[in-house]
Parts: sequence; structure tokens; C-alpha cells
Amino acid sequence: MSSIINPKQFQIPRIFPRPMSHSGIWYWLGTVDHKKIGTMYGIVSFFWFIMGGIEALLIRVQLSHAEADIISPELYNQLFTMHGTTMVFLVVMPLSAAFFNWLVPLQIGARDVAFPRLNALSLWVFIFGSILMNISWLTGEAPNGGWFGYPPNSTVQFNPGNGMTFWVLGLNVLGVASIAAGLNFIVTIINMRAPGMTMMRMPVFTWMTLITSILIVLALPVLAVAGIQMTGDRVYGTNFFNSEAGGDPIFWQHIFWLFGHPEVYILILPAMGMVSEILPTFARKPLFGYTFIIFSGALIGFMGWFVWSHHMFTVGLGPAANTAFTLSTMLIAIPTGVKIFNWIATLWGGSIKLTTSMLFSIGFIAMFTIGGLSGVTHAISPSDAQQQDTYYVVAHFHYVLFGGAIFAIFGGLYFWWPKFTGYFLNEKLGILNFILMMIGFNLQFAPMHWLGLDGMPRRIYTYAENMGWELSNLAATIGGFLIAISVLIFLINVVISRINKKLASGDPWDARTLEWSISSPPPHYNFVKIPQVEHIDDWWYKKYPGLLEGSPKQNKSPNATVEDTSNVDESKIHLPDLSYYPLFVGIGLSLAALGVIYTYALVTIGLILVFWGCIGWSTEPVNEPHKKHH
Amino acid sequence: MSILKDLFHYDGNGWWRIPKTSEAQANPVYEHPFGKFIGVFKGFLSYITSGKGHATPTYYWVIAMILGIITLIEVWWFGVEGLRYLLVPSMLFFSIVKFILVVAFFMHLRFDHKLYSTVFVTCMVIGVIMFSLFLLLSAFHGLGN
Amino acid sequence: MSNQGVTVHHGEEINNSTGVSNKKLLMWVFLGSDVMFFGTFIGTFMAYRNKSLNGPYPADTLDIPITSISTFVLLMSSLGIVLALHYLKESKMGLAKFWLFLVIIMGMIFIGFQVYEFSHFAHIGMTPQANLFGSTFFTLTSLHGAHVSIGILWLIFLLYNEYKGNLTSENAVDLEMAGLYWHFVDIVWIVIFALLYLITAGDGVPPGGLPWTAGH
Repeated sequence: MSSIINPKQFQIPRIFPRPMSHSGIWYWLGTVDHKKIGTMYGIVSFFWFIMGGIEALLIRVQLSHAEADIISPELYNQLFTMHGTTMVFLVVMPLSAAFFNWLVPLQIGARDVAFPRLNALSLWVFIFGSILMNISWLTGEAPNGGWFGYPPNSTVQFNPGNGMTFWVLGLNVLGVASIAAGLNFIVTIINMRAPGMTMMRMPVFTWMTLITSILIVLALPVLAVAGIQMTGDRVYGTNFFNSEAGGDPIFWQHIFWLFGHPEVYILILPAMGMVSEILPTFARKPLFGYTFIIFSGALIGFMGWFVWSHHMFTVGLGPAANTAFTLSTMLIAIPTGVKIFNWIATLWGGSIKLTTSMLFSIGFIAMFTIGGLSGVTHAISPSDAQQQDTYYVVAHFHYVLFGGAIFAIFGGLYFWWPKFTGYFLNEKLGILNFILMMIGFNLQFAPMHWLGLDGMPRRIYTYAENMGWELSNLAATIGGFLIAISVLIFLINVVISRINKKLASGDPWDARTLEWSISSPPPHYNFVKIPQVEHIDDWWYKKYPGLLEGSPKQNKSPNATVEDTSNVDESKIHLPDLSYYPLFVGIGLSLAALGVIYTYALVTIGLILVFWGCIGWSTEPVNEPHKKHH
Repeated sequence: MSILKDLFHYDGNGWWRIPKTSEAQANPVYEHPFGKFIGVFKGFLSYITSGKGHATPTYYWVIAMILGIITLIEVWWFGVEGLRYLLVPSMLFFSIVKFILVVAFFMHLRFDHKLYSTVFVTCMVIGVIMFSLFLLLSAFHGLGN
Repeated sequence: MSNQGVTVHHGEEINNSTGVSNKKLLMWVFLGSDVMFFGTFIGTFMAYRNKSLNGPYPADTLDIPITSISTFVLLMSSLGIVLALHYLKESKMGLAKFWLFLVIIMGMIFIGFQVYEFSHFAHIGMTPQANLFGSTFFTLTSLHGAHVSIGILWLIFLLYNEYKGNLTSENAVDLEMAGLYWHFVDIVWIVIFALLYLITAGDGVPPGGLPWTAGH
């Protein structure tokens, strides 16, 4: 559709001219450059990280004392629902997407992703979908049914009002963004690798992106169906989860967790990929067991489909089903363990340099292992019967998601920041960031283990005085505030580093993969010359070819240097021009979703925008025919 | 043993394999359990695919006719009261056959790069397995309680 | 096949690691994800079979002869689009336009049959709100119908481009993408027809009433 032969013969009339400049607001709104899109993903998702963090702090403030009444029960329900939904869908997934966007084309030696405008569409649908979901705060009725929205609590009979409808529609819109991104990255990784880069020479992060993208395109449609069924129930009176008509609320749980379990692997696999890049760089050793790590990642992605009912052990599925899921869940600990041992083996005997990103990565291994161990205790259904719906579960998933995914993401931020921006983040502030976050995180979530085993239920807005839970909860609240301070320090670090601008070269860490072979920040065309790849960690062996012949030490000065961009004839390099149609489709989709709640006029306007955007997009050539080249 | 080899030969000589159009031969060389019938049928197939790797419109019309005939059989089978006890397996069988015909020939998977087949078949397998498990779980909800 | 998204000029390097077209690969992966989408709905339908507590049952409502005709029409439209693509690749533009036009007409006939069926059902009291059969049946067939409608709009757009001279044998991959989508919509209907209509058409209240109603 974009390979129009004769653009002058048919193009949909433009209401606004096509943006052509390379600066200003229209540039950012119309960009299809994967690096800019990655940056926008990162900024917006970090904003939601802070919002989700504030929601968490409010929860912690309410729980710090027994029988506190700082937050009303209704508001409390909204807070924990939105905290969970925000952190899963608006923070971890898009922060991972930010890294996919920035790194995948650079790591495979491509100039951009396979479908740049589709990439921009993912971004804009995400941004407007996240706004859609959070507009509900303004109506006073944010979603309040938990991030998993179980009926009958979330049916319109027991939960009238628009809150949960916002939730379910927001999730459907965000699902579109994720699926589009997943499709794009699968095609990019399979089809656009540099010459000589076979699948088994790709960096681990790219492999994890591929597996995550496959999981996304297979799991998010299941969520979309659950969302459509719940929207039908809430808005149109269908009977999917209406027990009065014979519907079974357990089906929601089945369908949601059929999505939900692959979802948690979507959340953690990119983080594992990042750690697999950082550890070898700062241990000055190749990744131990590259093949095993990749194969384990693929196995985790595959086996993750068969464990979903471990979220439903206490629902009454029966001993046969419970046993089957116990077995499958315990099996999935095996590939995960393989990865952990491989990371430890990577560190073993290496010459370790404890930079901030290395600290976060080692912290990831430790925290994720703890979270994984509590996960194995959940796998056993009799013990899960005690742990289900208690704070023990909260401890488990925060250890794997915060101590796992977020730690790795922070590690990735400190590692790749010089590549994205051209300057370093301050190391001292970084170490302070790490220490405070480590202490605060463990102070907050470790007590939840024994709180849960002692019986403290989840999702309660307060608890009685004589339960003996006060001290642990107070400790957890203090931990939460320590985390908040550490995030504040990160933000201060960002500002100060921007001011100080300690410039970084293209390869400041002497790292191993292709993105370090170009300047920091990369030019808009990424590579002056598409590299010819001959090995795993090709950049490393181009720098130190002696290592290939078995010499134990690297030569003092590298054989290869970062690409020189000073004499590039850019007229030979063509990148797609800007387009605002993805923006319009993104706005239209969210407007249509909003209209389902309020008025069909909005749905019509939204769908017209989508339709116009799609047609414009199809008839618009990838590049405007023009004589001068930018 | 050699019958098994004939049936499941992996170098392309299995009797149940429709020959790749570029390797189509009018007279297959091997012996197989079904005698000349398969040979003639395969000859016909390679004739209508013109043996050059591209299907002709005739080929597509033939597939469409087969699809139409199967649909008619489906509806006829459904109408016969005496065959009702075999309804589910027969409907599943016919729909699977139609599915495979459309995917392999109309969607051209049979003649395209294997990557497309890998992608689609993997997704189908995961989908079918997942929803069969879901139906199994729902059917046996509470087993052992 | 050139990289869709990065224009290639004068000997600039292309990254195409497998030799397949980006667009076709995208469409196949998308169809794989759509399998999960329809699979979930079909799974829900099958799980809820024979569980409606009341209301119009499949035996009272489904009309197999009419649906057989619409199934046949959709099946033949698959043939039509394959022929349209074939003729487009051979640059026989007249035949290509004719067959694409026929596919659009057949798609519209199918939607017409669906609309007729839905309004007939509404007449006899079967609505999405009536019972489980209504909810599951209507959402599944409506979503399929929505897929068909989007496909029809896409094909109309492509036909228009053919008339304008924008769709030729060089960029036939665009019609091929639409063709794959259309075939997929057809095979989903094949499965829906078998499962929702043929297998379910005998479902009424089982003899003796539902197991959990009074009397058991």
C-alpha cells in the first residue's frame, strides 16, 4: 500500500501538510524514527512509573498503621487497581518497548524497523490508551476491581458506574499497541538482520525481544477477547459472566490468566535480555552458555502457556487440575534456573567492574532468585492454598517484577544512557540510587513474606490493631518512601548529568554488540555502512581479533573504532519521511473507545479518524518525491 | 519395514506427498501400496499445475470445486438423521479438510517459503492446544473433589 | 522484495535475511495472532454449549440451508480473490478487476445474509442478552462479520487503486496481503460453520431438562 507507483494520481487530500522539518513539535508528533519513538516510550512510561509509585505510596501510607482512615475504602480499591494496572501495562511493558525500539535495529545492524509508521502507531495508541484509562480519575470513578478485574465483582450488577468499563476498554486499546509492536519486531528480527548475522549470532537481548514479541502477539488477543466479553457484559448486557443466565465467572479467570501468565513472561524476558548484555560487558567475559540462555528463554516462553491455572488453585478446579498445574509450574523453574546459573557462571572468574548498571544487574539476579523461590512455593497447590490472596503473593510478584524487571530496566538505563544521549549518567548518584533502592525495596517487600504467612490478606484497606502486623507494615511504608527517594535521585541524576554533560564516546564501556560500534548518540541513519557480521559479539571480535586465535589477553588498543560520521554522503541514504497518520489513528482509536462509554457520536468521530488515517497512510508514499535530500 | 519406509519416506518419495511442482514427474519411479492410481492422480496434479512452479487458474477452479463438493457433503450429512451419531467427528473432519485445502493452496502455503508455514502452523498448534486444554478443564471442572 | 519502510536507491545495501517479503510475513504473523483471537471466542462458545438456562435454543433458531448458501458464497469468494491475484500478477488487468469486483460483491452478499439472519433472530427473541447461546453466538459471528466488513472496505480501496493504475503486477504483494486476510476470514467461517451451525444445530434443551434445574 505504501509502494504506490504514481502518488500524483491518487492521494487522499491532506488537511495538514506532511511534516518535513527535523525539529519542533511536528517532528516529534510525526517521527517514524525508532530512536525517537523509543525515547518517547521511555519518557511517557517513566511518567506513569511515577504516577504508579504515588499510588503505591498512598497505599503504604494508609497501611502504615492499623485502622488508619487516611484513605477511604473506595479510594483504596481504586488505588491498588490502578497501581497494578499502571505498573504492568503502562510502565514495565512500554519501558521494555522503549528498549526494543532503541536497541533492536542497532543490534541487528538495520537502519530502522520493518514498518516504521506501524511503530509510530504503537507509540501513539499506547499514549492515548494510557490517557484514556487514567481519565477515569477525573470522573471520580477510577477502576476499582483489581488489576485482574474478576467478575462478579466487576460486573455491572455489583460494580455499576464507568470505572471498570474504562479499565477494560483501556486494556483493549493498549492491547492493539502491544500487538502492533510485537508484529513489527518479529518481522524486523527475522527479516532485517545484517548480512552474516544468523539467528544464533544475534545478541541475547534481540533474542529475548523476539520471544517476547511472539508471546505478545499470541497472548494479547486472548486479553482482547476477555475485554470484549466483559465490555459486552457491562455495556450491552450479554451473559458471558452473568451467573443468573448460566454464565460462569470462572471463565473470566481462565481467559484472563491464559493471557496473564504469558504476560508475566512478557514482562520479565526483556529484563533478562538486558542483564545478559550488561553482565558480560562488566565481567569482561563472554556470556556463559549463550545457546542455553536462548533456548531456556524460548522454553520459558513456550512452557509459560501451560501454567495459567496456578493463579486459580483456590477456585475449586479439583485435585486433578491442580496437580497438573503444580507439575507444569514447577517444571518451568528449570529453564529459569538454567539462566540464573549461566549468569552466575558469566560473573565467575571475570574481572568485575561494579558500575551502577552492573550493580543493578547483580541485584536483579539476587532479587529475582528470591522472587522465583517464593514462586516455587506458590507452585505447590496445597501450600498455595495458604498463600493465595495474602501478602506473600504480593511479596513474590514484587520481588520478580520490581526486583527483577525494574532493577534490570534501571540497569539498562544506566548502561545504554550514553548511547541514547551521548553523555554519562553520574556514577556516584547512580550508586546512591542503587543502594537506596536496594535497601528500600527489601525493607518494603521482605516483611510482606511473613505478613502473608501470618495471614494478612491482600486488598484490604486496613487491619485490626491486635494482629501484630503494625511493625512490619510500618517498615514496609518506610521502605516505600526510600524507594521514592531513590527514584527522585535518579531524576536528579538525569537533570544534573544533562547539565554537566560528561560526553561519552561511541563505545564507553568497551562492550560487545553492534550498537556500540556507532557514535553516541547514533546518527539518524544508524550505520554509515551496514556491518558484515562474522561472529556472536561481532563488535568485540572486530576490536580484539586476537581473542579468536585463542590468545588470552586482548590487544591493548582495539583494531576497530567507532564509525566516523564526518564524511557521510547522506544523499545515498534514504529513510522514511515523517507521517502524522499514525498519530491520528491513535487518537481515533482512543476516542472511539471513550465513545463506547459516553456517546456513539464519539465512536463515529473516532472511527472516522481511524478510517481516514488508515487510508491516508496507505496512499502516502514512504518518501515524498522531492529533489533535495535532507 | 519397506512399506513403512515407503509411507514415511522423508526424501520426498512418500506416496501421500503431493509433489513439489518444480519436481513433478509424470511417472513416479517408486513402488507403493496404492498402485497406479496414485501415479495417475499425481500426474494429473502436475499437469494442472503446469509443472513449472505456478498454479494455473484451472488448478484453483479444481480446488474450489472440491471445496464446494465437500460443503455439499457436509450439509447432506447433517440432513441425514441416521448419520447424526457421527455428526461431530464428520463435521470436524470435513472442516479440517477444507481448512487445509484453503490454507495450503489458496493461501499458497504449500508452495511458499517454509517460514510462512512455520509461523502459521506454530500459532495454530498453540491455539488448538490451549483451547482444547481450556475446554477439557471446563468440562472436568471439579474433578476429584 | 524491497524493504517496505526503507526506500532503496542506487546500490544501497538491503537487509533481507530470509528472502521473504516483509509485508507477507507481517500478514502471516498477524493471522497467527488472529487465530488466538478467534480461538478464544470459539473456545468460549464450545464451553458454553448446552448451558443456556432458557430462551431460544439452537434447535429453534439456526437455519442451516440459508447459512449453507452464505458459506458457499464466501468459499467461492476465496476462489475469486485467488484468481484476481493471479491475473494481476500476469497483468491481465481487465480480468483482475472483474474478479476483485466479484469478490467484493460476494462479500457483501455474505454480510447481507448475516444481517438478514440477525434480524430474523431478533424477531424470534434471540438476542445477545437473551441467554448464553445468544451472547456467545452473536459476539462470535459479529466479530467475524466485522472482519469481513473491514476486508470488504480494504478490497474496495484496492479495486479503486487498480482503476487509478496504482495497483499493478509490481506491487501485487498488496493484493496478496489482502488476499491472505480474506482467505483467513473464510477459513474462520469454515470452522464457525462446522462448530456453531452444524454441530450445534441439534442443541435444544436436553431431554429431562438441564441438570441443575428443578426436578433433578
